[in-house]
Amino acid sequence: MLLYHYPVKHISPMNRHLLSFTLLAVCVLLDGCFRPSAPPPPTTGDIYRPVYATSADVRNVQTLAPQPLRNIGKIYAKDNYLFVNEVGSGIHIVDNRNPESPVKLAFISIPGNHELSIKDSTLYADNILDLVALNIADPRNVRLVKRIENAFERSAYPLATNVRFECPDPAQGIVIRWEKASIENPQCYR
Amino acid sequence: MKLTLYVFLLIVLLVSCDKGSGNDSPAPGSGIGGSTARFTISGNTLYTVSNTALQSYDISASSNPKTGSNIPLGFGVETIFPYRTNLFIGTQTGMYIYDIKQPNSPKRVSLYSHMQSCDPVVAQGNYAYVTLRSGTTCRNVLANSLEVIDISNLANPTLVRSYPMKNPHGLGADSTLLFIGEGDYGLRVMDISDPANIREIQYFDSTKAYDVIPAQKRLIVTGPDGIYQYSYANLKQLTLLSKLPVQP
Repeated sequence: MLLYHYPVKHISPMNRHLLSFTLLAVCVLLDGCFRPSAPPPPTTGDIYRPVYATSADVRNVQTLAPQPLRNIGKIYAKDNYLFVNEVGSGIHIVDNRNPESPVKLAFISIPGNHELSIKDSTLYADNILDLVALNIADPRNVRLVKRIENAFERSAYPLATNVRFECPDPAQGIVIRWEKASIENPQCYR
Repeated sequence: MKLTLYVFLLIVLLVSCDKGSGNDSPAPGSGIGGSTARFTISGNTLYTVSNTALQSYDISASSNPKTGSNIPLGFGVETIFPYRTNLFIGTQTGMYIYDIKQPNSPKRVSLYSHMQSCDPVVAQGNYAYVTLRSGTTCRNVLANSLEVIDISNLANPTLVRSYPMKNPHGLGADSTLLFIGEGDYGLRVMDISDPANIREIQYFDSTKAYDVIPAQKRLIVTGPDGIYQYSYANLKQLTLLSKLPVQP
């Protein structure tokens, strides 16, 4: 509105420069307002704490009997099988030869697992920080064939934004996941 | 004689169209993941995306993956989708297209930017389909939409049209159909014969859907309540085949 009423045609070159500069300055200032560089800690919202595990516990991949689906994540279809991630804990192998009646065959326990992909009879999965290659030729007896350690970044904070959380302490082990908790005055936030 | 030539050309065209469409396995010996995947296989290479980088592994010998190149991508990387000799990478700020003709050294072709949100991407034919979603792990709370992007020139992806959605998560395309998981709001089936004018065919508001895999006329849907499988042999109407329920 202000600009619309400004008699632009009649300002001198000098004033025109001043106007341009002022407009630029206003833009920069407004931009700064919309994107503060260091937001204050949220005072509401969820609070998280890290769940730790020892390195030995974390690197234990095993085949178990079929487990109930609880909190399912990524899916993968290969030949007559379905592979269903159980968020943070492993992969359900499902016989899908008859899509009208799929049958759970086994559960591969992989701590911290979220992702998977398959080539031939090798399944690749994330196991917290490591990439593991598993032979799935026999779905009831899945075997670890290779582990590439520290392939992934450490989870230094919960995925959610605008939350507070207990700062992770490396001395307590590897952070395998984050859970909601009621903690007094957590020191970390994002 | 001329007629024979035309018929032959027509067949060649139809065959090449068929190759371009569908959601078939991108690599012999590998399967199909959902659109929200962070792992994917193209040929003899496994690609993974972390929050900030694209990592490749040589899996020529599938039981012996070897660490390959690592390419920084910036911040907020969410999903990876292989299509022909390209990778489509969904991030919170846009869609990257990488050329993987040389599998161990992906080259950036372009970046299609949009407002900050969560966004898996899939591609089919000359179009990419991106869903933008507001949510707790994303920054933008305004955008909930499907963007159809013309990728006939990979170096310059351009928006064809944006369609409003409720809370879209994963998506999948096969031939003339696009399936969209609308989270707690259900499953949407769209006709994408004309990408500039997408029409809704069916909407299942009680099938809570996070991600989908369409292949061989069967749709696999994951959601908080379980895994649904539908047949879309009849393109006008999906038929529920089964549900593997989640235990409360």
